[in-house]
Amino acid sequence: MSQIELSCISKTFKISQRPEGKFGMLRGAFVRESKIIRALDEITFEINEGELVGYIGPNGAGKSTTVKIMSGILTPDEGKCIILNRIPWKERVEHVSCIGVVFGQRSQLWWDLPAQDSFGLLKDIYSIPYRVYKKRLAELVETLDIDVLLKMPVRQLSLGQRMRCEVAAALLHSPKILFLDEPTIGLDAVSKLALREFLKKENLKNGVTMILTTHDMDDIETLCSRVMVIGRGKLLFDGRLDMLKEKYSPLRCINAVLDKHIEIFSIDGADSIKVNGNVLTVLFNPSKTAAHTMVERIASQFPLKDIVIEEQDIDEIIASMYKEMCL
Amino acid sequence: MKTGKAFYMPTLKACLSIFRIKTAQGLQYRMAGLAGASTSIFWVLIEITVYTIFYTYSNNKEAGQIAGLSLRQLVSYAWLAQLFFLMQPMRIDSEILGKITSGDVAIEMCRPIDLYFHWFSKTAATKLTPLFWRGSITFLVGIIMPAAYRLSLPASFSGFICMLISFASAFLLCTAFGMLVCALRLNIKWGDGPTHIIMLMGGILSGAYLPLQLWPEFMQSFLLVQPFAGYLDIPLRLYVGTMLPADAYWAIGLQITWAMIFIFTGRSLMSVRLKSIIVQGG
Repeated sequence: MSQIELSCISKTFKISQRPEGKFGMLRGAFVRESKIIRALDEITFEINEGELVGYIGPNGAGKSTTVKIMSGILTPDEGKCIILNRIPWKERVEHVSCIGVVFGQRSQLWWDLPAQDSFGLLKDIYSIPYRVYKKRLAELVETLDIDVLLKMPVRQLSLGQRMRCEVAAALLHSPKILFLDEPTIGLDAVSKLALREFLKKENLKNGVTMILTTHDMDDIETLCSRVMVIGRGKLLFDGRLDMLKEKYSPLRCINAVLDKHIEIFSIDGADSIKVNGNVLTVLFNPSKTAAHTMVERIASQFPLKDIVIEEQDIDEIIASMYKEMCL
Repeated sequence: MKTGKAFYMPTLKACLSIFRIKTAQGLQYRMAGLAGASTSIFWVLIEITVYTIFYTYSNNKEAGQIAGLSLRQLVSYAWLAQLFFLMQPMRIDSEILGKITSGDVAIEMCRPIDLYFHWFSKTAATKLTPLFWRGSITFLVGIIMPAAYRLSLPASFSGFICMLISFASAFLLCTAFGMLVCALRLNIKWGDGPTHIIMLMGGILSGAYLPLQLWPEFMQSFLLVQPFAGYLDIPLRLYVGTMLPADAYWAIGLQITWAMIFIFTGRSLMSVRLKSIIVQGG
């Protein structure tokens, strides 16, 4: 049975706008014009226990709004949402005790106090029994490697260190579902890798369902098997990551380094060919022409020094997808 | 909704824990306490000077005595008013205000705890912590002043005990009113103006600027029953002896009644506001 069920969820916001024209600023002080924005438009999906889902979309697409509805903060205008057999905004207190939230841009730790104090407070807020708490904390401290950070005031931690503490704070009460809103924002490469590694482990070991919104496609690629794409409040794609790639980026790219400079020429089955000095870049569609055929065709004409076949960069796929859908 | 002990006990424990952590945070600011204390002391000394001039040289120098407040009582009142004044809701706690305006209230709402009592505990802690440094320094300076400027002993022992109980009620009342204002402020579009005016009105009606007994005669009965007398006027009357311990029952009862009214309205208002809350930013 699915853990999270959303059907036909819609939410509108009223946005005040300043009137245009010469005296717009002055008029705006007296009369307000407001515009209704449809942030979410009949969003429907289901998520099963233990799934790791990437939720992506351009800025302002409605990602955070969805997360806020699922965490019981916002009430949608229409639609049904059932998470762990509860309606989040109706039984908020019970609901939030089973979920964990990490907002990359907001902190849930006490700024002036050591993280340890914040954890102690969370223990009381979630009424975690002392023994369970001790055990869980030891586990998190070890896997996230935050032992030395616990006694330092949070304001003195680096962003990467703080984020690890934030994740620990979100998981202290062993939630069944974890919402991560841009968890890797602003982190350096090492911290990102460490955080992804941890999330993956936590997902496998404890079966925590995770929903991750992000703009970092590497997050999605390394973590999520399933991707949902939202744009202008509508769910545009929901499926496996390779399906997304197949649909929006069927082409593969061959980068061949040759022995000598060459002139441009044609190869059967190639969608596009670019030559830059002695580097040859060929795009082709593997469902039409198999990769080995392409390599043979190139190799038959020139001596190859090195060759790499890769997928199109996922960032580019998403960018072209947004473009295609006029987002 | 879980009800009864199963639900409220963990909440109570969490609230105490929040209160503790917030207090621990507040006590870090020693320098601010010292600076604040010097402001308070300076203010009291000016007040005492002005009152002394009025009581000694004005055309109508018996007016104060007729109102029932001697200069000596007034001096003590001024000192203690500075202590009680620290509990008054003068502004919404900066942390809470920050959470409302930046949208971090989202995180607070992801906690399995009633947001009203969560913030109540925080507000309560911020009302109490200034007393620790700023309050205690002001108090110590008050009792070592030369006779004309000194904070005198309480009028009677029973009056003192009543004052302590009334102090606790004042603490509850101040926190409850602070939370009511906070609930009003949850309407993000209001800005700070209206809430400041409301809090300032409370401050004036509390007697912090001019003891309520010195206000015009015809206003006296109104002044005593309005909620803000409970901030400091009631406990201070008990201390200086212008209110008899026998009257403490109804006076403290009045404080608690108002506190309950504020808690009830604040909490209902907050739950209404939360239903339609706009969570700002990303």
